[in-house]
Amino acid sequence: MATFPVLSTMANGLSVFRTWMDAVGDNLANLNTVRRTDEAAFQARFVVAEAVDYGNAATPGIGSGSRVAGVAFGSAEGRLVHDPEHPLADEDGMVRLPDIDMATQMTQLIQAQRGYQANLAVVDRARDAYLAALQIGK
Amino acid sequence: MHDVTMSALHHALRGLSARQRTIADNIANLETPEFLAGRVDFESSLSAAVQAGDPGAAEISTSRSMAATGVNGNNVNLDQETLTLIETDLRYQMTSQAVSNKFGLLRTAIKGGA
Repeated sequence: MATFPVLSTMANGLSVFRTWMDAVGDNLANLNTVRRTDEAAFQARFVVAEAVDYGNAATPGIGSGSRVAGVAFGSAEGRLVHDPEHPLADEDGMVRLPDIDMATQMTQLIQAQRGYQANLAVVDRARDAYLAALQIGK
Repeated sequence: MHDVTMSALHHALRGLSARQRTIADNIANLETPEFLAGRVDFESSLSAAVQAGDPGAAEISTSRSMAATGVNGNNVNLDQETLTLIETDLRYQMTSQAVSNKFGLLRTAIKGGA
């Protein structure tokens, strides 16, 4: 076990929420990424989180935060848009755009940001308690 | 040196630090699907052990919250966790202060009040 276990737990949590923010940033940046109709659309990135040392019902124990278990991808189909002027348009004048909803991404961005802040707040409080422990006997 | 008071305080600090780690784990898993919030209880065991005169026998028990979950199977309640964390931290500081005071008494005894 680490010397200050809460801090390593929080480091795990923070990295999950930061990865989530990275993924949302990537999704938003590619909101208007145009592809040819014979190519796959940009696929939305979904971060999959899982608990570390979750234990089981009999011995729940104390876990060590969360980690990124992997990344799942959204639809490669996207949506077809009629834009005959576009240099990537096919003979029917269609191009492929990703199927990403801006409102959903913004909502997720706020969720991830709040989660990140909550984790940081815990770091502050844990630090106070650890400092108190270090003052014992002084 | 290691009397009942010191032993009780020591176990209280252990229990509080376990609760702190659990709350940290809960908050790190704020959005993890199928995650049930962890709970720590050491007060009941410690209180029984102190009554029996042997605080060293106190145990820390952990469990999972059975509160209703959201659509993703997660039941971490950030408000509750934050309040419990603040309470736990204050109690930790209070208890560590009590340990310091106890050592202060010892120091007084060693110095003979000088």
